[in-house]
Amino acid sequence: MRNSFEKTRASRALLLVFVCLLLLLFVSFSTSVSAQADNDSDTPADSILALAAPAPVTDLKAFDTDNDHGHSITIEWTLSADDGAGANSVISYEIMRWEPFVRDSVMAARDSLGWVQARINKFEKEIPLAEESLDEVLTGQPVLDSLSFLVAYDEKDTSFVLTSEYVDKTLRDTIAVMQRDLPVLKVRAPLLPARFDSLLILLPKEYGKYPDAIIGRFDSVGTAVSGATSHENSSAVDSRSMGFIPDLIDYYYRIDVQTSNPNIRTSSETVGPVQSSGQWFNSGLVPVLIAILIFTILTMIFVQLAKKGMDLYVRPLAGIEAVDEAIGRATEMGRPILYVLGLGSAADIATIASFTILGRVAKKVAEYQTELNVPCYDPIVMAVAQEVVKSAFIDAGRPEAYKDDIVHFITNSQFAYVGAVNGIILRDLPATNVYMGKFFAESLILAETGAVAGSIQIAGTDEIPQIPFFFVACDYTLIGEELFAASAYLGREPQLLGSLKAQDYAKAVLLASAIIGIILINIFPETGETFKSWFEVID
Amino acid sequence: MEMISIWIAAILTLGIFSFLYKDNPLYKACEALFVGVSAAYWAIVFYFDNIYKKFYEGAVTADEPDYFLWIGAILGLLFLTRLIPKIGWVSRWPMALIVGATAGLWMVGYFVSNAMNQIGSTISGIIVYDTATGFVAWGETFGSLVILVGVLSGLVYFFFSKEHKGVFGATAKVGTWFLMVTFGASFGYTVMSRMSLLIGRVDFLLGDWLGILR
Amino acid sequence: MLSTIAMVLSLIVGLSLIYLLIRTIQGHPVERRIVFIYIGLAVVLPLLMNKTLPLPITKDVQKLYDQLEKLQPGSKVLCAFDYDPPSAPELQPMAVAFLKYAFKKDLKIIIMGLWPQGPQQAQQAIEEAMLDPIIAGKNLVQGEDWVNLGFQSGNEFVIQSMGTEFKRMFPKDNRHIAYGEIPLLQDVVNFSNVDFVINFSAGKPGTTEWVQFGVDRFGFEMVAGNTAVQAPMMYPYLRTGQLKGLLGGMSGAAEFEKILDEKGKASTFLLAQTFAHATVIIFIIIGNLAFFSSRKKKMAGTP
Repeated sequence: MRNSFEKTRASRALLLVFVCLLLLLFVSFSTSVSAQADNDSDTPADSILALAAPAPVTDLKAFDTDNDHGHSITIEWTLSADDGAGANSVISYEIMRWEPFVRDSVMAARDSLGWVQARINKFEKEIPLAEESLDEVLTGQPVLDSLSFLVAYDEKDTSFVLTSEYVDKTLRDTIAVMQRDLPVLKVRAPLLPARFDSLLILLPKEYGKYPDAIIGRFDSVGTAVSGATSHENSSAVDSRSMGFIPDLIDYYYRIDVQTSNPNIRTSSETVGPVQSSGQWFNSGLVPVLIAILIFTILTMIFVQLAKKGMDLYVRPLAGIEAVDEAIGRATEMGRPILYVLGLGSAADIATIASFTILGRVAKKVAEYQTELNVPCYDPIVMAVAQEVVKSAFIDAGRPEAYKDDIVHFITNSQFAYVGAVNGIILRDLPATNVYMGKFFAESLILAETGAVAGSIQIAGTDEIPQIPFFFVACDYTLIGEELFAASAYLGREPQLLGSLKAQDYAKAVLLASAIIGIILINIFPETGETFKSWFEVID
Repeated sequence: MEMISIWIAAILTLGIFSFLYKDNPLYKACEALFVGVSAAYWAIVFYFDNIYKKFYEGAVTADEPDYFLWIGAILGLLFLTRLIPKIGWVSRWPMALIVGATAGLWMVGYFVSNAMNQIGSTISGIIVYDTATGFVAWGETFGSLVILVGVLSGLVYFFFSKEHKGVFGATAKVGTWFLMVTFGASFGYTVMSRMSLLIGRVDFLLGDWLGILR
Repeated sequence: MLSTIAMVLSLIVGLSLIYLLIRTIQGHPVERRIVFIYIGLAVVLPLLMNKTLPLPITKDVQKLYDQLEKLQPGSKVLCAFDYDPPSAPELQPMAVAFLKYAFKKDLKIIIMGLWPQGPQQAQQAIEEAMLDPIIAGKNLVQGEDWVNLGFQSGNEFVIQSMGTEFKRMFPKDNRHIAYGEIPLLQDVVNFSNVDFVINFSAGKPGTTEWVQFGVDRFGFEMVAGNTAVQAPMMYPYLRTGQLKGLLGGMSGAAEFEKILDEKGKASTFLLAQTFAHATVIIFIIIGNLAFFSSRKKKMAGTP
């Protein structure tokens, strides 16, 4: 009675924790959403045509964005004197970034060369091809525009000449390929060492010297509405994403104050150099942190409850009830029990769960004085399994019955291991085979051989592709997580039971989130998308 | 030389195939050979790649030795304390490190890849529209419904704190059907994989060994 | 000649299967060794026929191809070979087809393996690709056009560590040349310096690890070729876009060969695969018939 009262109280407390956490999440969403909305509504009405140039922004600062994965720079400034005051002519701020010219150009050049290559490939197929038309392709404006920085067309010699020393090796390779395929294209300029190999990603700093290098320019990287005093210039981690910002490259920023007349704008002074880089703590991963915290707290609560002796219900699993029965059968028949831990490492969750079950089996085996055989695939797993079996024999009060060769190593090669275990099954004809842990291609071979040998077979694995094979060839199969549940169910250890319960509730939270998300996204698409974005974490 | 190795491989392949008829000495010999050779192979791989290439070349002979490797080497040596029963417990330290580090690494990985991103992808419009025509794409809509029901009922099946009874039980039952369909599909794929292995061997026997295939 | 005999024999085998079906219905179950013989014949005969099957390209393979097509000449592609000889019949054709395509397209290939035999499989695949006259004509140079970094132990930890620096995990390539001295790797520090990742995987560590520790942490784009056993487990990643394309088993390999226009082993194996599958299906039917008829008998036997 008291127990069930405590149970209700505990579940109520838990429910409360959940509701609070969910509320907290929602509050943080809605504040961020409404903050954005406020910003949007601030857009000023078209102001009168300002004749005088607006005052520039002051106190401009650019620094690496804190607590992120890199690839982001934050810019802060004090409003122009004409923003919301004075002439009130400011409608927006344009964020300008100076960056080495070569990056963009080479990217464009690479694209163009790809295009040229494609054309060449196409023309090659359509032989005979008039050389003139090919020339036209190569001298065509779209190509030359983007290539002009790197390659010039020599009309006299009808060939391309590399004008710049800044030639990416990749580009050179491409040109070399084209050259071979197309005699028209000749590269004459002396080629410099391959300093440019990976221009797109890691620009050597010397190309970024501001402002004396000719190879750089200011580019607009974003706009902020009037009244805004900061902007985050960031990109994805993927180097091929739009506006990719490589880390550890010098950048320089300035802010242009814009008026309703596009020609009237005032630039601020330039600040820099500034570089982006990743920090130890990435606030973009906060949802993951929250999720893990919730899970950890749940685990701790349930472990504590289990320690206090609260009866945590776990539904019975047929496969596990069968274990005891199978051990009894082996004793009656006087035949051994074979326990296979699978191919996982000692750190695999399935293997860890299997250790608990092995402990239980070993204890029963020691009590019934049956023979046990545990062939191992992984030396570390073997070491742990020996430890487990040994302590099970001690627990059963029969330490003298323990022999080190109950658990033994076979080999670290999948099919050789299977071959050996098959041999054991066919020669020893065990009464019961237990397969618990990680299994791969060997699952059917093992289970099939066991079936031929007439053993009772109990299997459990979290390797979904192998489950069908165990299903058809074994008497009982634990599917995926049932294996972990089984170890908790059998072990009855507070840690295991507590974490199983925590997992259950975590699943419930995920299930609830999925349902809430689906409802939201189908009824209120915008809120739904925001909700969804919390789950789509890619650092 | 190549001829000899092909012949050895062919005889061993046939020896293993002979198990299909019944267990026999040739099969046993092939099996023993395989176990022995692979054990030796792995011993060499572990020695050469880990102790020699990774540790010796990285921490001893390298121009800029990586001193962290020494910590790893010492922890690795601690494993050997198992051989001395009195201080055997020391071997639990490196074990604890391996288990702890892997669990830590996987926890975030699992959470992000297998839980959060998957739930994120489940949260999507149920009715799918064809981007080209703007009409409802019935096939895709049906697909998204199946995924939705599958995910939800599958999760319910793996809920251990409640007995499978009533509505909950019925949902779990639906989850079981989904699991069975998944297993069936994966069974099909596995059969395909196994056949590929057999085809590979037969190709070797007919092609490389007998030279019947070009 | 051989091909004709094989075709006639296949026909006979097919007819005898129908006979087996009838025998089973009459209550005479088939012995397991007979099943083995049939599967053996279903594999051997089609291989002798020297015929290929018409093959439609599935969406996932098309997606993978589209991703590859986006790569510009000179792009650096990291190829992780995570398999060993037992899985080679499925994965080697994919690897060979990919390498041929990549070399023809002047992609730069960086090979590595989380399985010890992976880089050796890669080496074999490269040797096979080099036999192609177009590729041979390019006079590709190891270290400039492709590099084999070899195997590194440590499973997912290797991927994690490569996120910071490749060099730490692979101080030398398989020819024992220091990382810093390899021209192709001059500016390759970590994943952000490669344009694309392709993984051929037969188990663990494999595509799952690459997705969880690579794609989800370092945000690169990846496609994978998997053994058929593993492929179904990868579909969730495909749906979320964590994987950009997938080749599953022999049929995936054959489709890949077709879409790349590189006729290889998978295309010739596919007929054998189809025959074997058909035989398996027929035996599943026979098995079920036997099962139900024996149950019926038992039920009839018990009062």
